[in-house]
Formats: sequence, structure tokens, C-alpha cells
Amino acid sequence: MLDKPASALRLRERLLDSERLMEETGCYDGITELTLRNQDPLKFETLHTKLRAYCVSAREMARRISASPGVREVGEMVVAIYTPEGDAIALSNGIMVHVHTMSRFIKWMIKNNYEENPKIREGDIFANNDAFIGTVQVPDVMDVVPIFHEGTLVGWAGAVCHELEAGGITPGGDVCLAQERFTEGLFVCAEKIGENDEIRRDYVIRCERNLRMPIYWVLDEKAKVASCMDMRESVKQLISEIGLDYWMKVSKEFIEEGRRAQLARTRQLTVPGIYRGHTFYGHVTAGKPGFQLLGDPDWLYNIPIEMEITTDGKITMDFEGTQPWGYHSMNCTPAGMDGGMFVTLTQHMNFEGLVNDGAWMATELKLPHGTWTNPDNEMVATATSWALLLPAYGVFQRLLSRGFVARGFVEEAFVGQVNSPMIEMGGESQYGTPFGMAHFECAAAGSGALAIADGLDTAYVGWNPESDMGNIEVWEQSMPMVYIGRSIVPNSGGAGKYRGGCSFVSTWLTNKTSHLRLHTSEHSSRVFDNGGMCGGYPAPTCQKHRAVRNSNIHELAAKGQPLAHAPGIDPHVSDYEKNIGGDHVVVEGPYITAPHKSGDIFSHSYNGGGGYGDVLERDPIKTAWDVENGYLTREAAIQIFGIVLKDDADGYPVADIDATVERRAAMRKERLAKAIPVSDWIAAERGRVEKADFAPEVKKMYASAIKLSSRFTRDFSDFWNVDAKSIFIPGAKP
Amino acid sequence: MTSYSKEVLADLAAGQLPWPQTKRIMSAYKDDDRFFKMIAVYQDRVAWKDPILLPVSDHLFICQSGDERITRCECGHSFGDYRKNWKLKAAIIVRNTEQALREIYPNSDIPDPRWMEIREFICPKCGTMHEVEAAAPGYPIVHDFEPDLEGFYRDWLGKPL
Repeated sequence: MLDKPASALRLRERLLDSERLMEETGCYDGITELTLRNQDPLKFETLHTKLRAYCVSAREMARRISASPGVREVGEMVVAIYTPEGDAIALSNGIMVHVHTMSRFIKWMIKNNYEENPKIREGDIFANNDAFIGTVQVPDVMDVVPIFHEGTLVGWAGAVCHELEAGGITPGGDVCLAQERFTEGLFVCAEKIGENDEIRRDYVIRCERNLRMPIYWVLDEKAKVASCMDMRESVKQLISEIGLDYWMKVSKEFIEEGRRAQLARTRQLTVPGIYRGHTFYGHVTAGKPGFQLLGDPDWLYNIPIEMEITTDGKITMDFEGTQPWGYHSMNCTPAGMDGGMFVTLTQHMNFEGLVNDGAWMATELKLPHGTWTNPDNEMVATATSWALLLPAYGVFQRLLSRGFVARGFVEEAFVGQVNSPMIEMGGESQYGTPFGMAHFECAAAGSGALAIADGLDTAYVGWNPESDMGNIEVWEQSMPMVYIGRSIVPNSGGAGKYRGGCSFVSTWLTNKTSHLRLHTSEHSSRVFDNGGMCGGYPAPTCQKHRAVRNSNIHELAAKGQPLAHAPGIDPHVSDYEKNIGGDHVVVEGPYITAPHKSGDIFSHSYNGGGGYGDVLERDPIKTAWDVENGYLTREAAIQIFGIVLKDDADGYPVADIDATVERRAAMRKERLAKAIPVSDWIAAERGRVEKADFAPEVKKMYASAIKLSSRFTRDFSDFWNVDAKSIFIPGAKP
Repeated sequence: MTSYSKEVLADLAAGQLPWPQTKRIMSAYKDDDRFFKMIAVYQDRVAWKDPILLPVSDHLFICQSGDERITRCECGHSFGDYRKNWKLKAAIIVRNTEQALREIYPNSDIPDPRWMEIREFICPKCGTMHEVEAAAPGYPIVHDFEPDLEGFYRDWLGKPL
């Protein structure tokens, strides 16, 4: 029973008290009964709706102050209202990954005694982008302001924007070449950056002198502070209407209600038990210019996940068996992992009820110490943590979806998010000024398939549910490149009864600059990282980068001759090579090379999602429509799906149903003829395992997983009936 | 309480419900009677009589077969005790060459087969492809799902097995 008025205790004591009560009662802040909701449910619900409206309204206002097309166009921002102890009560739409990472930031300040020094006072502004304090990566800059009522701290308002430039070793925000913290850019480590509702001038000067394009960061700070002040004033007005005691009680009941709702939804939508899945991430940097030699050049990471749903509805995700942290930018902190969990839950389960930190409290993450999920070294880089985070939470979505299928809620099963490769750039802009920028059209990739329909084409990523690629013209204003093509990549969704959503490719002409550095990140090559489900194939992932240096495109255009606007569908020779003269360059994996200049051409592809179900069950009529519209090729229709197409009188593809039935029967027979019993395959493959007859990167992956995890070692050894340690770590004791 | 007819749920599961109606179902409160109705939909779909206890994939079900609970393909083929990994009783095709991968990815760049292979798990009787794994060579076959069947029926459905 809650009976705690606004406390005169110091914040740190209140936070520790709240954690103790949760430990003792299992309920948030010891709230074992939702008294206020039971007394007047309408008032309870209305108040939460008001808080949510405050957040949404503040975010929309702030987006119009921001300078960044990432925030204005794509919506890379979120705002939320917190309890004095830093637990989220209500949040806006947007990049919800940061609702709980911001909670960690507030709690970190409280636990580090900020009440004493630098003090927490009315009108103060605090900022942070240190992932070991509470965020995901350096470009995620968060601002919070305390909310006081008659001298008592009664809550916090917080806002996060993803900055397009962070001042790191490579321009942009996701600094792909960072190998240690010291190369990631401008850190703001839980600092007081303003007083009396004004951002300090010395802080702005620091930003101006450490960023290639400070206008994004500085104006976004103003946008965030404005949204925080807007929420703060709304909450203060609300408290004057409902009374301070009621506010202090109801704000915490909201969170406990959210926790209970999450448990109830899990019991309603899934099936208890153990769920398992894995994905991989493979990265190639050997020999690339600018790559530092601190760490190994090429990486293969395994990401196994075991999810347990207990009969009380609690979800636990265990990452044991994954890889150690490394000298690269793809490490993640527990804050980032929390954020991944939170954003996935809000999109996949929290579609009704009160969404807040309560949902997070109904879950648990097991992040093994020393791995990329929980580095035991605070000096590691986390600039491109999404590279491993996204595939990992793609697995989580598939595991949840397996629960939805088992429970009969097929309409909720969603193969989910994809890893979304990103392009960043810097150098000299078309205006002759220094610039650095991340391009956020990657916010619109192809999603995984649903269990009842194809995935979303160019319309979904997990990290920003709004998934807007932004207008071409706006991006062109910010970078010295102009679009000469943006088009669907055929067959880019994973094949299946329902295919994954297709991705797109952009082609640009470098314009009005003699110095344009282009880099890409979150780009897995050599392995699939976006899996399928229930017989669906993974989406293709290794889209190479293609550039034409010193192109003759201006001459071709002047003569009115055909250009190339996309790579085309020949995997061996691109349309650029067929149509455009110049020095053609093809790069695998992340793009790290010398600067470009006016007249050069560059193309970058995004990912599609995994498929669902057996390819031989795909609808032939829908496939004909897909071929007509460029989502699938004729070759894929017949080769993968067994669908025979013919042309109608107008030359459009139509399905030949009889011929399709015949071909599919033959393909099924062929499948059965080629397949062998799994037991035979295991017996044959064991010899290869015993000899560790694998590529060096694969052997290294097994060795590091075995060093870190006794469970992985046991599972591997049991499966193959071998001693994994002696195979991969010569000289190790069995 | 929200509730749908068996016919509507059969169309939903078959992907044949019009999108506006599907979207309404997605947006509405969830129907508490969904599980047993969907079981009835699936039971109509299969040719065998053993009662379905739980769907585990698109065409795989745990069913009561005499005294045993087994994982069974829609065609009737048994993969044995539901607590064991059904994949170990399946047939498999492994794509670990450029040529084999290119059959599924005709125009895309493809992974390095020394780093990653595709494993297709197939019903040895009807040829349905039940699951596809993408894994590094040598990676153990994963046991996707071990449901707590007894706990589910007892605590969540209120109808012990």
C-alpha cells in the first residue's frame, strides 16, 4: 500500500529506498496495490494520457527548432517525464530506445551525489552522451532538467536527439574507425551545461570548437531544452491542479501499472518456455586505409540468445556464449542493451496500456561480463554499437514471434527489424565550409516478413518506428552530393511464403567539392545478419559499395546518352560499369577509402528483412505483381519460388498456375532427393569439427566463445561429441 | 470481450483476410478465446486425428499421440518426443558453396561460404521446409523452442493437460 508523501529525504536515499522496496515486494517502489487507479480509474487514465500528450507535443515543437534533418525529417528524437528517482512515467513517440538509457543517466547523477556537487537546482540543465553513464553511443546526446514544486524535486523532464556529427576520428556520428573511446568524438559526461534555463556559453564554445558542423548539435540542444521546459511547466501546472501528494503517488502507480501490464501481455500473447536463436555479424577491414592496428582487422561475431518466459510472465534474455568486447566501434554497454530491449517491447508488445519504465522492470537481461554486451573496460569504443545491437534484437523479435505463433496470434508475428547500414560523410561542403554529417535515410529499410503478409518495403527499422527516409531535396541541401537515383533493390527481402520487405539503393553524384570523405558503418559483410523464420530465408546482406571516380557523367548527360541510376541486377557487372566511363571501384564491407571530388559517383544499399514460411507456398499472383513492380526478378520467381510467369497481351507478367503447380512438384521431389538425414550430416561433419577445418576468423570466434562461456563449451562439445576446448584452445585443460 | 469466428481466424492464418479487416484485428483488444479456436482451425487442416496441443511453426505441431506427446508435421510425419529437438530427426540440405547460395540469391552479393552456410530443415516425407538456419560452419544446430507445455495449460489456460 502506497502511503508516501513528497519526501524530504535526499534523492540518493530515496532511490536506494525505492530499489530496496522493489527487491522486497517485487513491486515498483513497494506499490502492492493500485489504490488510486482502483479509486478513480477514469482520473488515473486521463492523467496518464495528459502526460503522454505533454511529451508528444513537446517533441513536435522541438523538431521545428532543430537544425538537423535527422531530427526534423526522420524524427530521431524522444522526450519523456521521469520520477525524482529517474524512472520513466510517460514518453513520446520517436527513438524510444533512449527512454530507459536516460533513466540510467538520471540515476547515475543521483548515485554520484550530484545533489552535493554540482548541485541540482531549479533551472539547471544536465547533458550526457557517455554510454557507460547512460546512452547508446556518442551521437545520442541527452538533456534533462529537474522539475521542482515549492522547493521539492518532484520529477525530471528529458530529451534525446541523435546528432549527425560527433567530432570523432571520422566525420558523422557513428564513427566507424573508432577503436577506443578517445577517437569517438566530443564526450559530455553527465555535465551541468546550463543554469537558470540558459545553456552556458562556455559549453556552446566547446561544441563549436570540437565539431565539424556544430549547428546541428547546438541547435538541437536548444530544441531539447525547450521541450524539457515545456514538459516541466505542463507538469507543474498539472500538480497545481491535482495536488503534490496525488502527483507523487500517481506517478509511481503509473509505473507499477506498466510493469503489471507487461507481465499480463506476455501471459496473454506468448507461451512459457525456453526460446533460442542466433545470428552473426561479419566485418572486413583488413588493409583498408585509416584502419588502426590496435585490434584484429576482420571480425566474425556469433550472437546466441536464450530467452526464457516463466509462468509469471517475466521475460529473461541471456547472451551467454557471445563474443568478447574488442578494439572496434561495435561494443555496446548495458545501457544500450537495455535500450534495445525497451524499444523492441514498445513496438511488439506494449500496444495498449501505459507504456513506461514498468515494462522494462518486467524483464531481465543477462549480459555476460567481458563481452560486447557488457565490456569490463570503460575505455572501449561504442560508436557503432548498433552493428551488433540490431541483429541481436532482430533475434529477440523472432523469438517473441515464435511465441505469438504458438499462441495463435499470427497477426503479431513479425520477423522484424534489420541491421541498417549507414553512410556518413565530411570534408568540405558545397558551400565551401567544413562539414560532417550522418545520412539518415537508413531509417527506412525493408522489414522482416509477417506470418500473414510480406514485410514492409523501404519502411521500417527497429530503432526508429517512424522510419522516414526524409526528402531527397532536404538531404541535398546538407551534403555536397546530388541524387541520380534512389530505387528498390529487387530480391532484397528474404525469400519465403511471405517475403521480407525490400530495401533500396541510392546513387549520388559528388557535387561542388574537392574533398568529400565517405564512410559506411553497421554493415555486415560475409555473413547473413537478418534471419528468416518458419522456413523463410535470411535477407541478403552483402551489398557491396560501388564508386566511379573521375566519371564522364557530365559528358554523357550533355550528349543525352543513357546514364545508370542503380547497380542493376547483374551480380558480376554493374550498370555503372556498363554505362559510365571512369575508374570503377567495388568495396566489400564498410567503405573506408580516400576522399571523393566533384564528378565522382557513389552508391550505397540498405538491407531488407528475412522471409517467413516455405518458398514453395508463395502466392503466384502476388509474385507476378512483384515482378511487374520491380520487387522480384523473373529469375527469382522461377528459380527460388517455382513460379512460372508468362506475359499477357500488354507484355505484363501473369502467373501460369498449371505450369507453377507442375514445377513446384518437381522442385519438391528434387528437394527430397538432395536432402540427407540430419544424423548423417552430423556424422560426416564431425570430422571437420575435430580438425577445426574452418576459416581463421571462424576458429577465432569459437575460441573466444569457449574462453568466455562454460555453457557454450558444454553445448558445443555435447552436440558434436568432442572436447571443444582441446580443439580450439590447444594446450587448454579439458 | 473481443471474439472472432473460426472462419475468420482460418482466413487470417491463411493470409487471406482483407487487409482492413486484418488491421482491425491487430489494433483491437486481443481475443481471449484465440488459442483454442486456432487449435480447432489447425485441427481441421491436418489429415490426422491426434489432438493438437500447440503449434510450434507454420506446419509443425505438438500433438497427443497415444501416451506420447510428439512434434508432427502437417503431413503426419512424426519427429518424435516434443521435448527433443525435432531438427535432429529432419532431412537437411546445406548450402555452403557459392553456386548453391547463388540459387537463392541470384542478383545480390552473397556471404563467404567459408564464414557462413545455410541449413534447410525439411520434412523427409512431404518435403516441406520447416526452418532455415544461417550459421557459421561447425555451429551446433539450435533447439529453437522448448515450451513449458504443462505450465502453459495449467497456469495460463486453466485447463490441465
